[in-house]
Amino acid sequence: MIRLENVSMAYGEHEVLRSVSLHIPEGKLAVLIGPSGCGKTTTLQLINRLIVPTEGRIFVGDTDIAEADPVQLRRGIGYVIQEIGLFPHMTIRQNIEIVPKLLGWDEERRNARTTELLRLVGIESHYLERYPGKLSGGQQQRIGLLRALAADPPIILMDEPFGALDPITRESLQDEIMLLQKKLRKTIVFVTHDMDEALKIADLIILMKDGEVVQAATPHRLLSHPANAFVESFIGKHRGSRRLETIRDVMSERVVCAGGDVSIVEAVDLMRREQVPSLFITDESGRFLGQVQIGDLGDAVPEQDCAVSKLMRTEVPAVQVTDSARDVFRMMLDARIDELPVLDAERRILGIVTRRSMVQSLASAVWEEGR
Amino acid sequence: MNWPALLTAVATHLKITLLGVAIGAVVGLPLAALLVRFRRFGRGVFSVVDAIQTIPTLAMMTIVMLAFGLNDTTVVVSIALYSLFPITRNTYVGLTGIDAGTIRAGRGIGMTPLQIFTGIRFPIALPMILTGIRLALVTALSITTTGVFIGAGGLGMLIWRGIQTRNMGMMLSGAIPASLLAVFCELFIGWMEKRLKHSQ
Amino acid sequence: MLAFWQTAVKNRDLILQSLGRHLMICAAALCLGVLVAVPAGIALSRRPRAAARILAVFSVINTIPSIVLLGLAMILFGLGFAPSVAVLFLYSLLPILRGTYAGLTGVDPKYVKAATGMGMNPRQLLQHVRLPLALPALLTGIRLSAIYVISWATLAAFIGGGGLGDVIWMGLQSYNFPLVFCGTIPAIVLALLASALFNRLIRLAQKHVREEVRR
Repeated sequence: MIRLENVSMAYGEHEVLRSVSLHIPEGKLAVLIGPSGCGKTTTLQLINRLIVPTEGRIFVGDTDIAEADPVQLRRGIGYVIQEIGLFPHMTIRQNIEIVPKLLGWDEERRNARTTELLRLVGIESHYLERYPGKLSGGQQQRIGLLRALAADPPIILMDEPFGALDPITRESLQDEIMLLQKKLRKTIVFVTHDMDEALKIADLIILMKDGEVVQAATPHRLLSHPANAFVESFIGKHRGSRRLETIRDVMSERVVCAGGDVSIVEAVDLMRREQVPSLFITDESGRFLGQVQIGDLGDAVPEQDCAVSKLMRTEVPAVQVTDSARDVFRMMLDARIDELPVLDAERRILGIVTRRSMVQSLASAVWEEGR
Repeated sequence: MNWPALLTAVATHLKITLLGVAIGAVVGLPLAALLVRFRRFGRGVFSVVDAIQTIPTLAMMTIVMLAFGLNDTTVVVSIALYSLFPITRNTYVGLTGIDAGTIRAGRGIGMTPLQIFTGIRFPIALPMILTGIRLALVTALSITTTGVFIGAGGLGMLIWRGIQTRNMGMMLSGAIPASLLAVFCELFIGWMEKRLKHSQ
Repeated sequence: MLAFWQTAVKNRDLILQSLGRHLMICAAALCLGVLVAVPAGIALSRRPRAAARILAVFSVINTIPSIVLLGLAMILFGLGFAPSVAVLFLYSLLPILRGTYAGLTGVDPKYVKAATGMGMNPRQLLQHVRLPLALPALLTGIRLSAIYVISWATLAAFIGGGGLGDVIWMGLQSYNFPLVFCGTIPAIVLALLASALFNRLIRLAQKHVREEVRR
């Protein structure tokens, strides 16, 4: 979606970016991070052509932005800055609707979009006629975000948007962004110097130093396979944190399994004795075949000696033992799954992940990191 | 070219102008200093001073004339009144515009309010005080030329006679010195302000 | 006191005519001043070096006593309305120019950054962001010019421009002090009203422009 090809940027003798090449896929939240002067803000500003590179090409979609009209380009890209910059002489509504207005949307369409946006973040409509000066910093930046989203651009650029806010507001806005991203799937390029923030929200982290990209990877990969010593030191205290955790560390090994030929009666009996709501059906070598839940069996009571394999669900989501705990938890929350079998490479069941394991893991993370 | 008359006119012109501004400064500077100390009177005082400033020059002089007559004194008093705004406001801004941190540092090392005033506020405010004086002087020079209409002396006399008799030469003999004086004040004092500011 | 009212009534035609004339001169000079100085200020706001030079030149021009320029205008161009307006127009430029320039350059850069980033072209930036935020300073400049113009217009009478200066002059010439005040008082009232009007406008323009910091 966004591509930089050998982009260099220099101010006179001072080289800010050295032949940077990047690719940011559509629908992902990419975080540009690095020490002061690494060129992350410059990279961001190249994308909406606030700055022009001395060398190299930049593509948004399929267009080389050097050939596009800058004003039109920017109207198709949302922009959120650290200083927020809500226009103080305009109401909240006017602030939000400014880009649609510039694009010539009629009043009805603008109103509808504003209502939609407010509902998206849960802000009440009585804020609309207020002026930004009356709002707190956090509220202002939420409006700033809505302003960037108003014309429904596919790309949003965010330059340390939460940097000027207190930690509590910052966290809630980070959560807000992640929630929005889930619903909207925009391509977001986010600059920050806060590694916590990056690890929390990014789909892709691009770590920069002295005008070059040092490593571009998912948070998990960055933590588990840092490319060099600089990356390691930059990650610093996050190494060996709970976020590195694989599912093996948190799963429960108490899995109640049964063979496929077990009858319904026996299955129910087993579930009652072990006090579990489901059975995992395996073959002789322990390979996972399917799952039977108590609800499934209730309907089949009359045929008591039917084999359980006839009723089991085979399309059951499962995870690998080497998957990261964080990813698995996320998936469980998103898809509202209560339990997942954990398999090894041969599809043998090694354990089970439940909501309880999630709670336990998080609890010890809180207490351990507090030390 | 009647040199004696011209020189007399210049002398009178300067006398009126400088006297007027001096009185304005004698009142305005302490007033500003007091307002720094007693800030709540600021609003009231400045609205009065601001109102005085708004009054058209000729109108002001006709009012002052009631008390002092059709002579030089009226112009001097008028100038003093018009000098209040630039001098008081600029001095006040200069004295209060100082970084609070600097003041705190002074207090921290044990300076009394008076010492803070003489040692910190005043020296740093000096460029702005000069600005106020410059503004007052330039305006005063202009007012003095207008003084001819209410019977005062000065270069205005030459200018006006020249206009009335359509005598360009006479008019210029008054206009050029008057303008030069004004331009000189503006540039010279302006330069002094810049020097002081840079040395800080 | 009584003499004043009697004189006022007796000369009311002259007074009203002079007042009308005075207003016309002031309005003409001020409007022309705004029409020239505001666009000039906008243009200058993008060129700070040229701006410094031009403002310096006009500062010097404005130090020249008003009567000098009025006199020159009269000798060169004759008596009347146009020369008076021309001189007053010239004097009115500096405060408006300064106010416009200061206002535009004083706009917090973060607003320009946000506006440019969201895709405003320069004209839209000026219209929607820079001018509204510069308005208080701009209006302050116009207010100052208005006060100066009203004041100097009293002198314009002396070069045949007409206006309240005529009434004052007549009074001074004939030592008729009540008549003097028939010119003085309207001039003062005019100036104070203009000042108050502009102050009101400035307060309105400032209402939302100053961000209130609330955390």
